[in-house]
Amino acid sequence: MNSPAKSVLSSHLVEEIKELPAKYPQPRSAVMPALDLAQEELGYLTPEAMSEVAALLQLDPGYVEGVATFYTLFHLEPVGKHRFYVCTNLSCMLRGSNEIVDHVKHAIGVKEPGEISADGLFSYEEVECLGACEYAPMMRFDHRFHYDLTTEKIDRLVAEMRSPEPSSSPLTPTLSLEVEREKKPRAARKKKADG
Amino acid sequence: MAELRGSFGDAPKHIVTRSFGTPDLHRLEVYESKVGGYSALRKALLEVAPADITNEVKTSGLRGRGGAGFATGTKWSFINRDAPGPKYVVVNADESEPGTSKDRYILENSPHMVVEGILIAAYAVGANQAWVYIRGEYDEPYRMLTEAIEEARAKGYIGPKPMGKDYPLDIRLYRGHGAYICGEETALLESLEGKRAQPRSRPPFPAVKGAWGRPTLLNNVETLATVPWIINNGGAAYAKFGTDKSPGTRLMSVSGNVRKPGVYEVELGQTFRHVIMELAGGPPEGRQVKVFWPGGSSAPVLPESMLDTHTDMEALAAARSMGGSGGVIVMDETHCVVRAAHRLLRFYAHESCGKCTPCRVGGDWAVRTYDRILANQGSQVELDILLRVSDGLQNGRCLCGLGDSAGWVIDSTIRHFREEYEDHALRHECNVGAGAAHA
Repeated sequence: MNSPAKSVLSSHLVEEIKELPAKYPQPRSAVMPALDLAQEELGYLTPEAMSEVAALLQLDPGYVEGVATFYTLFHLEPVGKHRFYVCTNLSCMLRGSNEIVDHVKHAIGVKEPGEISADGLFSYEEVECLGACEYAPMMRFDHRFHYDLTTEKIDRLVAEMRSPEPSSSPLTPTLSLEVEREKKPRAARKKKADG
Repeated sequence: MAELRGSFGDAPKHIVTRSFGTPDLHRLEVYESKVGGYSALRKALLEVAPADITNEVKTSGLRGRGGAGFATGTKWSFINRDAPGPKYVVVNADESEPGTSKDRYILENSPHMVVEGILIAAYAVGANQAWVYIRGEYDEPYRMLTEAIEEARAKGYIGPKPMGKDYPLDIRLYRGHGAYICGEETALLESLEGKRAQPRSRPPFPAVKGAWGRPTLLNNVETLATVPWIINNGGAAYAKFGTDKSPGTRLMSVSGNVRKPGVYEVELGQTFRHVIMELAGGPPEGRQVKVFWPGGSSAPVLPESMLDTHTDMEALAAARSMGGSGGVIVMDETHCVVRAAHRLLRFYAHESCGKCTPCRVGGDWAVRTYDRILANQGSQVELDILLRVSDGLQNGRCLCGLGDSAGWVIDSTIRHFREEYEDHALRHECNVGAGAAHA
């Protein structure tokens, strides 16, 4: 096994990854959850991180890289702190997603998908259908869907993320697709989702 | 919550969505006390023999709502309940067909309905463990399903003795990571096993050798969400809805150029005119429907003149299309069919897993050809290439349907809108609304 000389993953993450294989009928199924954890910690999957995940799961590094490169949600290059994933498939395209993409580029000051804004805060990708077509044009921003997009909504979101003191409610209701059905405090739910 | 766009509430033709809109329906206590949730699971576990559950589903005539439309009860009966060793139910919640959002709609509105359907299916086919493969981008449905499973576990409906029955049941989630191909059932299984998602050749079918080499039942979210109603009301009651060969209702997500995009529950056999012009409010003021995709982007297009086509699978087959995923994409006359086809071919080329040569090569080939046509560099040669590539992608030349789907986009748009293609390829002009400015 090519175990890297120096660990790029935190020690508690290493322990967590080691426990994953036992949770599945066959240990190989742990590869994506493990890559998820690594990506969450590092922001993107470096070759060293993939090798370390491979060593921890007793898999070949080339195999792990093969899995990581197959799926679009694994980032193999650095990304912005916040990511725009703008749907540009047909249902959104018919309702103006091309303008939304142009506006996102303008608002964060980048020219290409994957390029990181000068302040390091943002990057964007054009993605395929996200399955919320009745709210087109829409996007996923980090881990949340945003619906009925307009250029104004993009501007407000960018401004809010740039403001040095994030307000207690990070996204205004009109801005977010926040599902308000839940009575549970969002904080509790978020914690669970993140943890 | 985000404004509910689509069917909800008790209406004569609502089966799946009748309880939607009930405040806090996603909580077990509300699902159980307000809308009679988990009564079907109780009945299935305590009053009905497993084979009779499957028979009830057979009687209903329910057909898979993921895209292929295979008879659900028949699929269940393929699993040998008495075979020794683990068996699995795997739920396809990897909804990724362009224009399709109905599984998300169900998961966000009534996650317990899905949980209940999964548990009934597992018991019927002799599985103790179910896995839900849910697309990675579905953050909110993932959270809601996770909470629903936790609630059901706390209540004992998931666990060693659900409803007091000595039959352990468990549900776990596995998150996808962005690959359309995982909607194909054997690619999904590969992904669940921690591999690149490339479809398997069949046989063996998943019912014999599925997840981790074990007998596996694969069903779509909507299919399983329909099961509790069937168990409560009987298969015969379900079969009274819809047509003889396509019984029941299905959720159709209507998107694109309509006034009221939404996820509508439609009795099969209704016309697309009803779905698009009435339920979804028709095209924006002053515009006209030009073309629609009746069952996701993979379903061959139908022009406005075919709005009276019925929604059942037989009528769609007769119209040379298909019911597919129930995603209805509507495009009005201000948009260019060639550009729309180009966009979809980019999708299929991007999502090809690369295993079968016709799909891996053909998708890119088609995209490059469209690129030339839309750059006003086309000629008769480009039109001929498109048709040849389309033919090469279809007719069972690939292991799964992705190649066929790409071919159908080319084929059906040319069949119905040849003049637009010729405008672009031969005359280097676009005579369509918004597109005209760009040509």
